[in-house]
Amino acid sequence: MLEVVELSKHYKNKKAVKGVNLYLEKGETVGLLGPNGAGKSTTISLISSLVNPTSGDVRLKNESILRNPEKIRNILGVVPQDIALYMDLTAKENLEFFGRIHRIKKKELQRRVDEVLDIIGLQDRKKDLVKTFSGGMKRRLNIGVALLHEPELIIMDEPTVGIDPQSRNYILETVKRLNVEKNITVLYTSHYMEEVEYLCDRIYIMDHGEVIAAGTKEEIKSILSAEQSIAIKVEILKGEYLQLLQALPNVKNISVQDPAITLIVPKKVNILKDLFKLAEETKTNIISVHIETPTLEDVFLHLTGRQLRD
Amino acid sequence: MRGIVWANFRMLLRKPGAFIATTIICIAFAYLLGKSSFTKVEVPVYSSLPEEEVNSIIEELNKGDAFEFIVEDEKEVKNKVAAGSAEAGVLLEGSSFTLFQVGNTENFHLINQYMERYYVKRLKEKAVIDLAADSNQAFEKITEVNGNQLFQLSVASFSDENQWVYDPGLQSLFGFALFFSIYTVAFNVVEILREKQLGIWDRLILSSTSKIEMYVGNLLYCFLIGYIQIALIFVVFKYGAGVDFYGSFGKTLILIIPYLFSIVALSIFLTGIVKTIGQFNALVPLISVSFAMLGGAYWPIEIITSDTLLTISKAIPITYGMELLKGATISGLSYSELLYPISILILMGVVMMGIGIRLMERRHV
Ligand SMILES: Nc1ncnc2c1ncn2[C@@H]1O[C@H](COP(=O)(O)OP(=O)(O)OP(=O)(O)O)[C@@H](O)[C@H]1O
Ligand SMILES: [Mg+2]
Repeated sequence: MLEVVELSKHYKNKKAVKGVNLYLEKGETVGLLGPNGAGKSTTISLISSLVNPTSGDVRLKNESILRNPEKIRNILGVVPQDIALYMDLTAKENLEFFGRIHRIKKKELQRRVDEVLDIIGLQDRKKDLVKTFSGGMKRRLNIGVALLHEPELIIMDEPTVGIDPQSRNYILETVKRLNVEKNITVLYTSHYMEEVEYLCDRIYIMDHGEVIAAGTKEEIKSILSAEQSIAIKVEILKGEYLQLLQALPNVKNISVQDPAITLIVPKKVNILKDLFKLAEETKTNIISVHIETPTLEDVFLHLTGRQLRD
Repeated sequence: MRGIVWANFRMLLRKPGAFIATTIICIAFAYLLGKSSFTKVEVPVYSSLPEEEVNSIIEELNKGDAFEFIVEDEKEVKNKVAAGSAEAGVLLEGSSFTLFQVGNTENFHLINQYMERYYVKRLKEKAVIDLAADSNQAFEKITEVNGNQLFQLSVASFSDENQWVYDPGLQSLFGFALFFSIYTVAFNVVEILREKQLGIWDRLILSSTSKIEMYVGNLLYCFLIGYIQIALIFVVFKYGAGVDFYGSFGKTLILIIPYLFSIVALSIFLTGIVKTIGQFNALVPLISVSFAMLGGAYWPIEIITSDTLLTISKAIPITYGMELLKGATISGLSYSELLYPISILILMGVVMMGIGIRLMERRHV
């Protein structure tokens, strides 16, 4: 349904997106992951025709949207990363305003507003000013506005950032329902691996403006299937110990979550002996050691060298 | 587009505080300053005419609301003028008067103008009365009146071309209305930038609303809110305080249109050049206050004599706004006579709006 070909966006002193390729099939939910500044939001702006690419193409149903952005605008709903609502209007007034802007007919509009309020579960707060809403409710309304004109494709840019778990679950369920019941195609950006794991069929991982991995969850996890991750918890983390660990020949990746350290090493290597020996040498007290098969988060760490969240 | 105007008015009704506050402050300023200009200036007077006649003249003179004439003896009057505690002193005579002054003051012209008007009236009346009694003598008197018209005065700057009529009430009303409307308009225009930063504009772009509609909708609202404010203030002064618009009330309501257009354009221009809303908030008072000073909103531009300042004032919308409003009321000019300031304002507006919107489109929030 949607195809992104060698898409690039260069700003004066920053190449935000560098030759990204991706596609969306009708009815799919696709995840877009990447650390801060990876270029996710820029990619979304490019796809939704808000920003013109430096090079490359976005094709909707085999037609380029660059010269004809109306085509995608009519079928697309975008949930922006930041809350884009009028704080001094009520929830209902916000929906009415954006509905009018979308030229939804008067009679139709009331029906749509009502339906959206049901979907986002704000029917009982519709007459309240948005500024009185909790973070979660604002996020829900932020999503609701993008649903008014019944889009075939929704692009969500971190729709659950900074909200309580309850609202988060509600939003995830809503997205799932929209996808399953209405067959809406979803491109979902998140900082939370478990959300993407729960919602998405396929995943793209971006870093420094490039897609560095793509595929189904299983395909992506298999990148690290020959590896294991070892989490060491210590009493006091010493730089000396860390340096010695880093110097070990088989350690592929090392990350620190003080007072814990996560190592990624090939499965067949037995590294435990070295860990304890080095601990003794540096007088580091090890509290626990966990050996795990890699999660999506580990894959991410492995590929980008960074945590998903700062 | 109508949706945008609707949403903006909705939000205004929700939060009318700033609008009401500026309106009230503006009314208060215009009222207090207009009124204080009316507090009477004391003018000491002496005369050798019979006391009865002097008193009737004084009574007549004091009917005006700008000056308070007080009879004193000659020495005292001259002392007061010399010491500067009075701006001018007057010697009243039967058919003429003499003004004493030290230095040239603003009020001196006004006193002179006032006295002159009074004497013209008085002499005409007298002439008519005398005519009835003795035609011969009356003839002489009238020629005297016409030929020897009160020019015992040494007023160099008092020639016809720079004669201007000063109406302190309207001056401060127009001045403050035009000044405060800059705030009202500017702080609404900058909301466009805020909405851009919030991402609301992206939403509008993604809907079927065109860029033109987005700008027209928002700027139209800013214009209307400025218009409503000025109209409201004028109405309060006309019907509440009974201020005399010289029969041109309706005309003033039309003439504020080109002025507000230029102010909307100025605001979008400023919004285009600033980097942040904070900068804008700092810039607006700076600009509006200097505009008000140079453009003759705080005091009549006619009292400015510096050529440099007068040249600068030619680039300031308030100058033309004041020219229009005072022209239509005090000077009773017609639309065609006001065409020049109207065109300048529209021209300024078109240019600044063009540049401003272009800058807005080029910036990424
Ligand atoms: N208009 C712009 N001008 C210059 N640089 C920009 C612009 N927009 C984005 N960038 C840069 O491009 C890079 C990618 O930004 P983008 O917002 O797409 O990242 P992101 O993946 O969405 O990050 P986050 O997870 O923090 O939202 C960043 O380094 C950013 O500073
Ligand atoms: Mg982003």
